[in-house]
This record gives sequence, structure tokens and C-alpha cells, in this order.
Amino acid sequence: MPVNLTAHAIPAIVAGDVNSKPLLQVLEIKLISNSKQQERYRLLLSDAVSSQHAMLATQLNDRVTTGHVKKGSIVQLIEYICSPIQNRKIVVVLNMETIIPECEIIGNPISFVESDLPSQGGSLSNTMQNLSKSSYYQLPPQNTSYNVENFQLPPKNASSYVQNSRPTVQTAYKPPPVYKGQGAILRNEAPSRVIPISALNPYQGRWAIKARVTAKGDLRRYNNARGDGKVFSFDLLDSEGGEIRVTCFNAVVDRFYDAIEVGRVYLISKGSLKPAQKNFNHLKNDWEILLESTSTVELFPEEDGSIPKQQFSFKPINDIENVDNNSILDVIGVVTSVNPSVPILRKNGMETQKRILNLKDWTGRSVELTLWGEFCNKEGKNLQEMVDAGLFPILAVKAGKVNDFSGKSIGTISATQFFINPDFPEARSLREWFDRVGKDSASLSISKDIIPGGSKNDVRKTLSQIKDEGLGRSDKPDWITVRAAVSFIKTDSFCYTACPLKIGERQCNKKVTKSGNSRWQCDRCNQEFDECDYRFLLQAQILDHTGIAWVTAFQETGEEIMGFSAKELYLLKHEQEDDEKFIGIIKSRLFNEFVLRLKIKEELYGDEQRLKITVAKADKVDYSSECKYVLDLISKFGRQ
Amino acid sequence: MDTSNPAVFVNAELLQFYVGRRVRAVMQVVRSEGGVVIGKSTDEKQLVVKGPPPPAPLTNFVEVIGIVDNDRSIRAEIWTNFGNVIDMFSYNKLCQLANGEFKHLFV
Repeated sequence: MPVNLTAHAIPAIVAGDVNSKPLLQVLEIKLISNSKQQERYRLLLSDAVSSQHAMLATQLNDRVTTGHVKKGSIVQLIEYICSPIQNRKIVVVLNMETIIPECEIIGNPISFVESDLPSQGGSLSNTMQNLSKSSYYQLPPQNTSYNVENFQLPPKNASSYVQNSRPTVQTAYKPPPVYKGQGAILRNEAPSRVIPISALNPYQGRWAIKARVTAKGDLRRYNNARGDGKVFSFDLLDSEGGEIRVTCFNAVVDRFYDAIEVGRVYLISKGSLKPAQKNFNHLKNDWEILLESTSTVELFPEEDGSIPKQQFSFKPINDIENVDNNSILDVIGVVTSVNPSVPILRKNGMETQKRILNLKDWTGRSVELTLWGEFCNKEGKNLQEMVDAGLFPILAVKAGKVNDFSGKSIGTISATQFFINPDFPEARSLREWFDRVGKDSASLSISKDIIPGGSKNDVRKTLSQIKDEGLGRSDKPDWITVRAAVSFIKTDSFCYTACPLKIGERQCNKKVTKSGNSRWQCDRCNQEFDECDYRFLLQAQILDHTGIAWVTAFQETGEEIMGFSAKELYLLKHEQEDDEKFIGIIKSRLFNEFVLRLKIKEELYGDEQRLKITVAKADKVDYSSECKYVLDLISKFGRQ
Repeated sequence: MDTSNPAVFVNAELLQFYVGRRVRAVMQVVRSEGGVVIGKSTDEKQLVVKGPPPPAPLTNFVEVIGIVDNDRSIRAEIWTNFGNVIDMFSYNKLCQLANGEFKHLFV
């Protein structure tokens, strides 16, 4: 079907018009290889009357290789330039669209020669000398056979070619295009390819990632040997689920800090890749990005649904029991209780807030979640109000840290994020479970050392095994259970004077000193009072059928072992000075058997390592379950 | 310790092996009539204990030491109150072990 190519398009282009989007036909395509540059294609474009060579920008090379553009294709030039180089006009096509892929040659185009072109002889390269001069004459279109003779000597290096079936004249020889920093390709401004975050590595050439900010860290100032500085980091998540942390220092912070918003999608490029600092960076990536002054961060204003807002891998609470201390994990559960905030004095002397709440999930377990600092005030307060109102919100925690101080509990760190009543499938199924079953079902807390009656989920040992197996020597304390009797109680100092004032929900319990004659002073609470509390600090020797051990028992366990409160005993000894009765009581407590849960740890005292054993729990022996335990042992023994 | 007249730990099942021998058994008192106490042994079978019960009231669980009459009754010599709560299962296991695998440990 006849197509009308844009009339006079070729002369117009050569004259410098690069704004019209002419419709032209590709007469020829030739691949030009130059060892210095990439492969380039040279097209012969025609407007049905004239033809002109044009170089194809390399980014369009694939159009030719895939066959979108071939001999006879009708194309529309979208973006193109025409530059005079060495008295020639070089046309470069930067962008074009194929309108009709295949078409018969329209018209009888002849090579376009500008009328004011200087004599072509001077600018020809040597290779052109092979051609006879007659080939450069502009010939009338109708001649066919005339030209054939002229083409019998194909020049060696000339970028020219023979067309047998129609009359065209060789245009003047064009040297390989020299762009002199004009083409977009030379400046390397072509956009970097977007690659998945998981493919990032320091050996990657130009890269770009498109990802959503899942977390934005605080702006932190620091001071080190090199002086003052500031730093901030943010975490990215892309559509393939890859995550990586991005860090900026000093001047770069100023550039990007305000621009980065959690939840928005950005295109980031030209950062450098460094190994991830596993102490601070808990994302699953070996690398992290460092942005520099040459980096680019571009906001994507439209929503990109392919990139999730957050990525979680929730651990069921019953699995948390087996997780290592200090590991980072995500958890989701129903908040069943929230305690009020208490101020806590940290090791560095700073005071901060602490709040405990309980999370319960469908595994029938609950875990304590400790909120530190800001979390107490914002999310903590929010959650408390919700629980008080009778709603039990679903809380998803990202990047909580496992603590094994008493059982396993989770604490917040600076990187932790809370999501209250989030809209995830896990949250929905958890809500369903809770409404149906969960709210009435009891759950076992993995954060408290509750030893259920018959089932011993803790390790039973004998006292001799403590020494034999070298318990307490590793980094973490060893927890064991023994059944032993108290064989000796140190009576010299079995208790201490403690501060009775309450800090939040707990008693201060710090040792108080006498101030004046009858009053007591607490350093932590900074108060004085008349009456102090007495708390046990028992040193006792325990024994079982294998050996002995020295242990320390504090208030709760002390009371269990002694059967009396520390205050009663103290008064008996020091104020009533009834030694006989006192000793009588002590004696009566000897050789009582208990099931004791012991915490064993070797600690450095001065120069030497000493084994410190603390009684964490003292229970009266339940003979029935003990029997079962022993019977079980016997049956195992018998099978040797 | 007087080991001249040892009493074997038995439950109802083991009684038959020790007819005429001195045994000890724990049982739950079901009822007391005349000079006989009917009880439930640790393996859930009925035991008849003859002989005068002690003047003091019997608790729920009692240990009886005496001579075996037949495979269901004992002529009691000594009664011991074991209180109201006992783990029958454990005692039963004890009887089995004491007469089985670990017989050599007992007199």
C-alpha cells in the first residue's frame, strides 16, 4: 500500500531541521565495526526522492539485530541530529519508531548532495581513489545501466556499497563518525540498568536499584579521632524481596536526609558497595551501600505496587525458645498485657524508660516484650490504652533482639519497628485465632521459668556433674535442676538491709546505709527512711547423693529454704537476741530436700575464676513426680 | 535394723507368690467391717485384710505388714497410716521392680 514519506525530509534534515519527525524509508543497513568503538549501524534513509546516510545511535542497535528495522522499513525519526563534520553533514538517529517493517522501495531516491558542498575531492580519503570520478556525479534518476559499470571496482575500505537493482550514487565518503563529546552515549548519561538488590556487589559496573525505604535511621552525630561527623542510614526493599542498608556521612547526609521518607520508592545509583557491618546491620545482605557526593537518589512519585512495603519473617513464639541469645528476629502476636513504664538506670549512668508487655500467639506460648526508651512513651502508651480498653491489638515487631536473662524474652533495639494491627495475612489469621480460641486459652510463657509439675523441660543433673562436666565455664551461664538437701547455712550474714521504696512496679532493693542513728539512706532513691526492708542473701551448702555445692540464695528462694522471712530471723537474732531459738530454726531447716533450679557461671573475682551458683528457684519436692522421674531413670538404667 | 523377718513389697498380683510369707502392701481403705478391712491394692484389685485394726482411726491409705493367707488376703500384724494422698502408681512400680529386675537389692 502506498505510503507517503515526508517530502523533502532529507534536504530539511541536512539543512539543520531536527524538529520535524519525518517519515522515511530505510534503503540499506550496514554494520560498521571499528576496533576503537562499538559496532555501529549506518542506515541509508530516503524520503522517496533523496537519500542520506545516517548513523544509528548504539542504544538502537537492537532494533536492527531484532529485525525491527530492516531494508525497506518505513520509519519515523523521533530524535536526531545533524552535525557538520569535516565539511560533511553527519546525521545521527537517536530515537526512531518503525512504522512499517517491510515495504517496497518507494520512489527512486538518489543520494542527496548539498548544493554548497565544497569539492569532494579534497576531503576524500585514500581509499576513495579506487573509484573513478564518474561515480560522484549526480545522475538523473532514470538511468539504470549507466551506473553499473562504475561500481565494478568496489573500493576497499570505503563505507560504500553496491545496489544492483536501482540507481543510486555513492555519496561522498564519510569518515567514521567522530562525536567529539556530542552524542549522549559518549557522556555516559544513558540511564543505568535497574538491577535487583540481591545482585549488587562491589564489582558491579554502573548499577541502579529501585526500592522502597522500609526504615529510616536517626541522624547521629559522632566524634572520633578524625573529628566530628554525622551519619544516617536507611533500609531498602525491592520488588524481588532483596534488602540492603544505605549509609550517608557528613555532607551527603545533608543532601539526602530530608529527601528520604519511609514508604516511598526511590531510584538510587552510583553509590559504592561496602561489606555490611553485622553488628548494626541486621539485614540479610553481605553488602551495604555508601552514598557519596556523586550518588543519585531519585524519588518515584507514583506508587509501585510491585515493591512490598515491608518484609517480615515471623518466628512463632514456641521457636523463640530455641533461638540463640542476642539474635534478631521478627515476631507477631496479640498483646495480652502491658505494664506501666519504669525508669531504669543504664550502665552508662543514663536513665531510660522500660516497659514490659506480653505477646501471645497461636503456638500456645507467650513471650515478654521489653520496650526501651522512646518505645515506652509512644507505642507503649498506645498499646496500654488499647489493652485497658479491652481491645487486644495485634503487634508485629521487626528486628527485635532475643534476651535469655530469664527464659527467653525480646527487647527493642534502635532498629526495631512496631506495627500495630497491621494489614498482613499473618495478622488477620492471628486475629481470627484469638477471637475464636486464643483469648480464653492459657499460654505457657517462655520468659518465665515456670517448671510445670511433672514435665521436666529443664536439665536434671547431680551435684557432682557440675564439676565433672565443667559447667559454667562457657560464655553463657548454665541452668540445671537438682534435687538436693541443704546441709549448711551461713548465719553470719544471711540478709542485708534493703531499700523498701518502689520504683515503678519493683522494689528498689538497693543496700541502704545507716544515716545517723536510727535512719536509713538509699543512694539510688536519694531518700531517707526509718524502716528498712530485710532481704535474704544466703550462703548455703547443698548436698545430694553425689556431692556438695555452695550456693547463694536471694530473697524468694531464701524464704522458701528457710521457711521464715528474713526480717523475722533478723529480729530474732539481733534484737531479741534469742540465739537458741534462732539456731533451732536453722537446724530444723537442714536436710530438707528441695528441687532447685541453679544458675551456674564462672566469674572472675580479683585474679581467680570462681564458680558462682545462684538458686533461681527452690521448690518443695513433689514426691509423686520425683518418683516418676526416678522410675524413668531406672527403666533407662535397666536397659544398659 | 531388724532384718530377721523381712517383708516383701507386694501388690495384689504378687500375693500369690508369697503365700505364708511376710509381706507389706499399701492399699486404699474401702471399708472396714467387723474384724476385716477391705481395701484396694495399688494395682486396682481388692484386698481383704484380717486381724484387728489398730485403735487409731485409719487414714485413706494404709500400709499393712503381715502373713499372706491366700492370693487375696493378708493376716495383718502391723498397720501404718500413710495419710490421705499417695502415688499409687509409683508404689506399684516399686513393687514390680523390687520383685523383678532389682530383686537382688532387697532383703
